[in-house]
Amino acid sequence: MGYFDVPDRSYTRYSNRQLAAVPLAVLAVALLVLTGTFLMTGAPVPLGMDFAGGSELTIQTTSSQEEIANAFDEEPESIQSVSAPDSQNQYVVQFTSTDLESLSQQAEQNLEQDGDADIVQLESTVSGSFGERTQRTALLGVAVAFVGMSVITFLLFRTFVPSIAIVLSAFSDLVIPLAFMTVADISLSLGTVAALLMLIGYSVDSDILLNNHILRRQGDFYESTHRAMRTGITMTVTSMAAMLVMGVAAGLFGVKLLSSIGIVLFVGLAADLMNTYMLNLSLLRWYKFEGIRS
Amino acid sequence: MTGPVAFVKEHWRLLLLVVFITGSMVSLFVPGGVMGGNDYVETQDSGATNLEYGLDLEGGTRISAPVTGMTAEDIDAGAVRDNGSVDQARLTEIERTLYDETGLETGNVRVSVDDDGNAHAELFTENVSEEEFAAALAEAGVEVDPDEDIREGVTAETRQQMVDTIQSRINAAGLSGGNVYESARLGGGYYIVTEAPDMGADELRELLAERGIVEVQAYYPTGDGNHTNETVLSGDDIAKVDPPEINQETGETVVPVQVDSNAAPEFQSRLNELGFTDPNVGVQQCGLRGDGESINFDHEGERYCLLTVIDGEVVDAHSMGPRLANSMSAGSWENDPTFQMGAQNAQQGQALSVNLQSGSLPAPLDFGEAQTYSLSPALAEQFKLYSLVIGALAVITVSGVVFLRYRNPRVAAPMIVTAMSEVFILLGFAALIRMPLDLSHVAGFIAVVGTGVDDLVIIADEVMEQGDVSSRRVFESRFRKAFWVIGAAAATTIIAMSPLAVLSLGDLRGFAIITILGVLVGVLITRPAYGDILQRLLTDK
Repeated sequence: MGYFDVPDRSYTRYSNRQLAAVPLAVLAVALLVLTGTFLMTGAPVPLGMDFAGGSELTIQTTSSQEEIANAFDEEPESIQSVSAPDSQNQYVVQFTSTDLESLSQQAEQNLEQDGDADIVQLESTVSGSFGERTQRTALLGVAVAFVGMSVITFLLFRTFVPSIAIVLSAFSDLVIPLAFMTVADISLSLGTVAALLMLIGYSVDSDILLNNHILRRQGDFYESTHRAMRTGITMTVTSMAAMLVMGVAAGLFGVKLLSSIGIVLFVGLAADLMNTYMLNLSLLRWYKFEGIRS
Repeated sequence: MTGPVAFVKEHWRLLLLVVFITGSMVSLFVPGGVMGGNDYVETQDSGATNLEYGLDLEGGTRISAPVTGMTAEDIDAGAVRDNGSVDQARLTEIERTLYDETGLETGNVRVSVDDDGNAHAELFTENVSEEEFAAALAEAGVEVDPDEDIREGVTAETRQQMVDTIQSRINAAGLSGGNVYESARLGGGYYIVTEAPDMGADELRELLAERGIVEVQAYYPTGDGNHTNETVLSGDDIAKVDPPEINQETGETVVPVQVDSNAAPEFQSRLNELGFTDPNVGVQQCGLRGDGESINFDHEGERYCLLTVIDGEVVDAHSMGPRLANSMSAGSWENDPTFQMGAQNAQQGQALSVNLQSGSLPAPLDFGEAQTYSLSPALAEQFKLYSLVIGALAVITVSGVVFLRYRNPRVAAPMIVTAMSEVFILLGFAALIRMPLDLSHVAGFIAVVGTGVDDLVIIADEVMEQGDVSSRRVFESRFRKAFWVIGAAAATTIIAMSPLAVLSLGDLRGFAIITILGVLVGVLITRPAYGDILQRLLTDK
């Protein structure tokens, strides 16, 4: 069963500093990206309609993309065509305006009907103030989840260094996908917030596994690490594969909620692989060989 | 080991799984489900399962909007006597003063006493400042501090009444499965959320925007050549409403109503005073014509009309009928206080009847702060298909990875089957409690497959490490070790998702609830059973 086997003793070749440097550098870059964006735009990540307010229409029409753009008094924020198996001529159009009534009227007046299907298939609007409240609620939710996770971790391991190692890599697991979203211009939506919360739960699994194997089992450090890695990497790779498939398929079908959850989880889990087996591991090794005696 | 007790003791994990899967099958596929009843759902859902679908997968409209208004809470109105009884006259007096001071239209002021005996004053408008509100209250002899005592929003009673009114309006419109509830928002205040499966956004917005305040006004000459309107009966005074019908004598559409016995005497005496019931003055003296919507008030001479007014618009004008006039002037009408409210046509009559029956919306909704989501049934149908496809793809991917990793169908196959049974049990549970499924739930199901397989990987690796599993005892000890990790991981996932399950973040609630339930089902039922299966397969018993 060689598929996910990792080189067994390679860890001995690197010092703790070297191991920790890579994930810490990535974390620093991610934080830099977020701070930079925050200073420039006022928000660390591009805010989607759920949080910034705006409107979205899913329309079915034989008109061209250009005609769609011209059909509205207000220039659409974005027009995305949907490429699903049994639907053609479907587009998701977003606006900053929240006057849904006139937007859907303009769509019905200025666009060509596709057969007997309704032109406006989905209409959705969030007012600015509604979005602001959602933003605060979501922030609170993420904060509570993170603090709760940290408390549980400390309760489980009851020692400072291993616990803080988990909390630190979970933090990095959140920050890296956020920075990725900024760079890839994926806006923060309710779906991505759900993905981030899911990450808190998901990513901690492999950390707990690693800590458990190293701290609570007898046996050689590298032996335990290797066993934890074999299990942990299988777990994470399985989840990553499922999320990638879900993200890509849902993206093609225009099911935004599912696609953003999938993509963000995929990136976050990839970050988790690095954080668990470099950052968390180096902290654990330091703790096991040096920290414990001091 | 023989005997049924020993059998159960040995295989309780597997038996538990079988019990739950059977239960899910019943709740999913047996028509009517376990809960039975609720036949309105059955009529609209012709699918093969008992699953219910939410807006995303069924189509429809949801509008969430806060209530416009401000409240002076727990005011010292002097309206509650020491023995707890309420001085209704005092409340009305404060209300009158507030109307006079603020110049608001009927229905936008309310002074009430709640069940705990606290008095509240509410204004349902955005056009009056807190200072003006406080000043108006001071005029009525109630001292409040505009900064401290007056807050945005309305009382819980008012919100509940909004919810009830909207619900009964949706029911009156003949829609099944409509759902109205209030949802708390962070930093205080509430949204009223209305979901209607069979309605477009425009339609639902119209239904919510109409206040539906019904009044009967008397239109009579003031003696100096002019006429005036006076409200003689409000919608609240009407105790019972019948559906609209055609009056046999006049051929007009009317809505028969019964006036509340407390309001009837005053209505009767006021109409007597104004001369409406005097055959030589007011009876049969209206004769104003309408165009089907409003009434033309250009006329000469003196007229006596009973006006039907909805939201400040006169929709119909009727004469006092001779029979009603007779019983009123004789004073016997108040013993059987029924009469017929006029409407210009059947459609208007229907609207009037619905408005009277559901009552008026006590306060307007603030659409400026609203969230609207509307989805056509056709697109919802597509989403249903996509969800299935995406779910299937995710399961195939996970299976592929697991098979690649273990190369041993005896380990991998039960893994996939167990993870699937987790989803199956959750679906059964969703059907049992009639939870309407949305896209967020679908995401939750996929996440459950993901976490589920993760934990099964932990079990498999732990049990199989260090060579073969020779005895049951070895197996049990390894299995217990694996379970510590799984329990810890489950605890963190539940903690991480629980804020979402509680906070009102719309779509995400379903996702969080399914994920948490999935983790619980996994830890308590399916994962122990997988251990059992694995043990049988590995120890070759």
